[in-house]
Amino acid sequence: MTFLRLLAAFFKVSVVGEVAYRVNFFIQLFQTFLSLVVSLGGLAVIFSYTDKLGGWGPQEILALVGVYFLVGGMIGLVIQPGMEKLIESVRDGTLDFTLTKPEDTQLIVSIGRIDIWRLIDILLGLGIMTAALIGLGEKVGLWQAGMFLLMLAAGGVIIYCFFLILATLSFWFVRIENILTIFQSMYEAGRWPVSLYPPWLRYGLTFVVPIAFATTVPAEALTGRLNWETLLGAVGLALLLLVISRVIWRVGLRHYSGASA
Amino acid sequence: METQNPPAVHIKDLRKVYVVSQQESGAKAALRGLVRRRSIEVPAVDGISFDLAPGEIVGFLGPNGAGKTTTLKMLSGLLHPTAGEVKVLGYTPWKRDKPFLRQITLVMGQRNQLVWDIPAIHSFELNRAIYRIPPDIYRSTLRELTDLLELEPLLNKPVRNLSLGERMKCEIAAGLLHRPGMVFLDEPTIGLDVTMQRRIRSFIAEYNQRFGATVLLTSHYMADVEALCRRVVVIHHGRLLFDGDLSSLVQKFTDHKTIVVRLGDCHADLKEYGEVVSCVDGLVTLRVPKSGTAQVTERLLADLPVIDLLVEDPPIEELIERVFAQEKP
Repeated sequence: MTFLRLLAAFFKVSVVGEVAYRVNFFIQLFQTFLSLVVSLGGLAVIFSYTDKLGGWGPQEILALVGVYFLVGGMIGLVIQPGMEKLIESVRDGTLDFTLTKPEDTQLIVSIGRIDIWRLIDILLGLGIMTAALIGLGEKVGLWQAGMFLLMLAAGGVIIYCFFLILATLSFWFVRIENILTIFQSMYEAGRWPVSLYPPWLRYGLTFVVPIAFATTVPAEALTGRLNWETLLGAVGLALLLLVISRVIWRVGLRHYSGASA
Repeated sequence: METQNPPAVHIKDLRKVYVVSQQESGAKAALRGLVRRRSIEVPAVDGISFDLAPGEIVGFLGPNGAGKTTTLKMLSGLLHPTAGEVKVLGYTPWKRDKPFLRQITLVMGQRNQLVWDIPAIHSFELNRAIYRIPPDIYRSTLRELTDLLELEPLLNKPVRNLSLGERMKCEIAAGLLHRPGMVFLDEPTIGLDVTMQRRIRSFIAEYNQRFGATVLLTSHYMADVEALCRRVVVIHHGRLLFDGDLSSLVQKFTDHKTIVVRLGDCHADLKEYGEVVSCVDGLVTLRVPKSGTAQVTERLLADLPVIDLLVEDPPIEELIERVFAQEKP
C-alpha cells in the first residue's frame, strides 16, 4: 500500500519533469525502434536458414524478444534510474535527506527516479508478446500465463536485487557509475535463449549476471517449456537474493553512517 | 507544573571518531598502501555535552572543521556516535524511528533536496506523500509558509530557474511542511544577500514562535546569531568552548574595549593611549585593555579636543574570530 502510494507520487513527479522535455520522448521512440529493427531483422535472417533455433521456433523466439523488451523496459523504467540516483546521492551527500525521511530508505531509493519514456519498451514488449502468442495459437493456457507472470516477477526481483547489490557497493567505493553500464551491454545477450550459448557463458548469464532469469525463463514459461527445477530455482533465487541484498544494504547503510563526513 | 519539561535535545560526552586511511605519498608507498592500509583515528567531536530546552533557538558556532555538521548529523540520526549519550525529543536518533523522523527536519544551505527540473510545488507534494501529511493540514501549512516566505510567485517555476535565495526559501519550506518540532539548520543563509538573509532570519524567528519549535542553527554570519539566538554553544576542535548567553560570551572573551573618538583631524599621536585600529577623517578607533578603559577615556578627554567619544565592545565577529584563534587542540 505504502509502496503503491509512494510509487504514484514519484511517478507523478517524473511525469511533470519529463513532459517539459518532449525531445526525450522522441529520442527514446527512435532508440526503441532501432532496437526493434535489429531484433526482428536478426530473427528474419536466421529463420530464413532454419526452422528451429536450439529447439525454439520463430514464434517462440518472438515471444522471447517480447519478454526482452518488456523486462528491459522495466529495468530502464525504474530499477536502473533509481540505482543511478542512489550512487549519485551517496557521492554528493543528498542521501542524507532521504535518510531523514520517515519511510524505509531502500524503498524511497528504489523508486526515487523513474524514466517514464521506457514505458514505450514495455508497451512494445507486450505488443510483440501478444503477436507471438497469436502466432502460437491456443498452445498458451491459463496455467502457462500464470507461470509466466510468476517467472516475470521472479526475474524482476532477481534483476532488482542484482542492481541493488551493485549500487550498494557505492557506500564503500564511491565512484562506480560504470558498473551499471556494464550490465546494460550484457543485457543484450538476453535477446536469445541462453541455451544457445556455450556452457561457460550460459552459466555466467544464469548465476553471475542473472539475465537468463530475466528473459529466457519467463519466455520458457510462456512457451510451455518450463520445468520444475527452473521454476523452483527462479523463485528460490529471487527470495534468497531479496534477503542477501537487504543484508548488504543494511551493512552498507551502517557503513555510510559510520564513516561519512 | 509539577515536573519540568524534558529537554528537546540532550547530549552528554558525545564523541565521534572517524577512521581515516592514510594515503602515503610516492608510488612505492602508495603500492604498499594497497596491501596494508595505515589508518588513523580523527576525533571530529570529542566529548561535548549540552541540553536544549523545548522552544529554544540556539546558535551553534565554530570554525570550519570544528565538528558542527558532524554533531548535527548525529542529532538527526545520520551518524552513529562513537560514544556518549544522545537523545532528541526523547528518541535515540540513530535508531531512526519513524515517529522521531516525522518530528525533525534537517535543512542544509549547501545541499538541496528539491528536484531540480520541476517546480518546487511538486517536490512539496512528494514530501506530503512521504510524511503522510493529511490534505487539510498540508493545505493550511503550505498557505502559511507561502505567506511567511513570500513563495507565491516561486512555487510554479522550475527550481533550476530560481535564484539562490529563492531556492533556499523553497528548501526551507520543503523541510517544514510536516511542521517539525525540532529544526536543525546548517548554514541556512550561506551565500545569500543581506536582504534575503534578513528575510530568512525573521522567518525562522516566526516559525519558532508560531509552532514552539526548537531550533539549532549553525551559521557563519554573526548577524544571524545576534538576531535569533540568546544562547550560543561554541565548539572548537570537537570540544565545547562556551555555552551560555551571547552577552556573557562577550564578557568572557573580551579583554579589550573599543573607544571611538572624534577629533578634528588625524594629526594627534594617540599611540600612548592604546592601539590605533584606524583613523578616518578624524574618527579614531582605539583598542584598549578593558581594565584601563575608564582611565584612558579620562585622559583622552583631558588632553585632546574631543568632539565625541564612544566606548564599545568589539564587534562580535572579531570576538568570535579571536576565540577561534586561541588554538586549544
